[in-house]
Amino acid sequence: MTDGLKTPAAAPAPLDGYDAGGYFCEMHGRRGLGHTREIRKRLDALDIAALRRRARDAERELLNLGITFTVYSDRDAIDRILPFDIIPRVLSRKDWETIETGVEQRIAALNLFLHDIYHKGHVLKDGIIPEDLVKGNENYRPEMCDFDLPHGTYIHICGTDIVRDERGKFCVLEDNGRTPSGVSYVVENRHLMMRAFPDLAHGIPVADVDQYGERLMRTMCDVAPKGISDPSVVVMSPGVFNSAYFEHIFLAREMGVPLVEGRDLVVENDKVFMKTTTGKAPVHVIYRRLNDDFLDPEAFRPDSALGVPGLFAAYRKGNVMLANAVGTGVADDKAVYAYVPRLIRYYLDQDPILPNVPTNICREPAGLKKTLDNLDALVTKPVGEAGGYGVVIGPRASKRELRELRAKLDRDPANFISQPVVNLSVCPTLVGRAVEPRHVDLRPFALTGKSTWVLPGGLSRVAMKRGSLVVNSSQGGGSKDTWVLV
Amino acid sequence: MQASLLARFAENIFWIGRYVERAENIARVLHINGTFSRDKPEGPDWGRVLEIYGDVDRFAETYEKPDAASVVNFYILDRNNPTSLVESLRSARENARAVRHLISTEMWTHLNILFGKVKALKARDIRMPNLSRLATALIIDCQTFEGITDGTFARGEAWCFYEIGRYLERGDQITRVLDVGFGRLADEAPGAVASVQWNVLLRSVSGYYAFRNRYPSGSQPDDIATFLLYDPEFPRSVALCVQRMTTRLRDLQARHVETQSADLEKARRTLEFSLETGPGTGLDPQKLHVFLDEIQVSLGSVSNAVQQGYFR
Repeated sequence: MTDGLKTPAAAPAPLDGYDAGGYFCEMHGRRGLGHTREIRKRLDALDIAALRRRARDAERELLNLGITFTVYSDRDAIDRILPFDIIPRVLSRKDWETIETGVEQRIAALNLFLHDIYHKGHVLKDGIIPEDLVKGNENYRPEMCDFDLPHGTYIHICGTDIVRDERGKFCVLEDNGRTPSGVSYVVENRHLMMRAFPDLAHGIPVADVDQYGERLMRTMCDVAPKGISDPSVVVMSPGVFNSAYFEHIFLAREMGVPLVEGRDLVVENDKVFMKTTTGKAPVHVIYRRLNDDFLDPEAFRPDSALGVPGLFAAYRKGNVMLANAVGTGVADDKAVYAYVPRLIRYYLDQDPILPNVPTNICREPAGLKKTLDNLDALVTKPVGEAGGYGVVIGPRASKRELRELRAKLDRDPANFISQPVVNLSVCPTLVGRAVEPRHVDLRPFALTGKSTWVLPGGLSRVAMKRGSLVVNSSQGGGSKDTWVLV
Repeated sequence: MQASLLARFAENIFWIGRYVERAENIARVLHINGTFSRDKPEGPDWGRVLEIYGDVDRFAETYEKPDAASVVNFYILDRNNPTSLVESLRSARENARAVRHLISTEMWTHLNILFGKVKALKARDIRMPNLSRLATALIIDCQTFEGITDGTFARGEAWCFYEIGRYLERGDQITRVLDVGFGRLADEAPGAVASVQWNVLLRSVSGYYAFRNRYPSGSQPDDIATFLLYDPEFPRSVALCVQRMTTRLRDLQARHVETQSADLEKARRTLEFSLETGPGTGLDPQKLHVFLDEIQVSLGSVSNAVQQGYFR
């Protein structure tokens, strides 16, 4: 508010003086997006104080309802909330169609890929993806070979991380095909938004997100063991100490099924049972929220106390189904990610609807050359590391770091990929007493049984720190309600 | 397909019932002792509360003497006392967290807020002038939970376990209050002071006006004992607690939720038999004490048998 246009009598409207700073803005687009006009008008009818009041109410509500992740001290369970921003992120119908079809396409290719590598391995023989990259991957599970799954579905629940670049183009950053988290926030953020801000959405056709639980249940029934028409479904959690425990509660409640832990289950004659007040009751489908490693101490990590001995054998016999399947981790690996556009072409004979962030594969000569030539402009990632370890952001690296990176690339190029820095799109976000641009990403959730369905909405994570591109909750990220217009 | 309740969940729900009931009763005993008792010129005797809960020795490990500040702290704020209000409500909330997908959102939210409130209490909040207001608010909070549960919790297997836990705890609480109250009053000469004390006893279990209604003409000790033990209408009488608990056990049977343990039926019959036999005619304090002890042991056996029979 440095210009002379401010009327001294009126309090500033929330979007007054907002400047997206050259990034693509989810609310304004390049020239003011038509589909958000009404929402902007309504936001501007409020003053910042009113907006802050509603935001505070919403955050208190989160604590009261226990929509939290929990930090345990020696005595107390301390509940923390994921910061919630009250200004929604809005997606047009057209943008949503791109995301929906793009996600469907990607999951179809990944499921075909998983079936293939655990059966005949055509994709390897045809040289589309290096064999050692797949079979040498730590998440490749040879135990899954020649095991047929209902409908060939491996990834029943997927949470694809999508970002939008400065031109507004969507691209995929990561395929989360193991146990993606966050769908509870999609639904709970909506409830919160409707309570805090019923007047903002009034009359605006926003797609419903309430049907997720029913759809998830249907997906679980789709993949039930043969001959079981009314399967007994459970959600399996590592327990109350897990930081995603609220989500596990949410999933069980939305499906109306028990939330079990490993200690509640027992395997007898390759069949799975849960311990009830009337004795043992059969279990047919398990939506498990723990990693492969911890599922069954007899099959995987012998020191795991969270799992159920004999569970994997029951699975291989087809007496119980697991969602997601064992061994999907190889499909959402950083190195394999780089090949997904080629997998889409190979299996579906289609061009990818959602591109990858352009990725140079350093095990290939062309990719290596491009990386070495532009080291100071690219983000270079070791493929074997997780959690951002070893990532070098070219524009922010010192000469010495770049020199060291170059040496590593010379020594072991296959261990690296590189990508341009993506300038994530921004969204108006309430920060203190002002509305400022903050970077966001999007994680839509897709369910696949017989076919794929994408929940119209998704988790918009927002980097609450000015200028930060890191949206992870562990780094102070928050979330927004995501509106898909229909 | 709807399966039976997981054994672990049945146990969680049983304990939610017990812990909230316990918190309510302790809050009431503290409130009444601080407000109405006039046993000594210098103020209420707080040692009585320790006797009710059999905590004299445990208390002495940490505190020097049973004065108001220490006893109230022990029962409200003390995190090392598992039966303090803050610990009871913490346990209730942690049990609720484990079954949160089964209980109503309102039940969870209320316990969550209630624990947060009690945890945030400071020493000044429990000082004598504030005690009555605080304890009354906490009693209402616990009763609100009961009301929310009544209005939102499906009347299924889980609810039966909640009720069984709640009535076992209520029965246990009332026998404790009765035992100590009678033991002490019997030692004293009849007179005006004693009469006030009988009323304190009644108020400690929310039974003063209910008793007045039932026995308008006076407060003979044996009338009070009969009322608190056997009144078929007073919702906290031992007989009513046992009857409600038995009804829920029968409901479970009707739902084919049968326990493998024969001990439960045996323990329940023993309890009913003791109650029917009664403390004998004429009010002999010694006999009453033995009798109440027997009832308490029986309630404990039923509780153990429920745990063995259903939660293992």
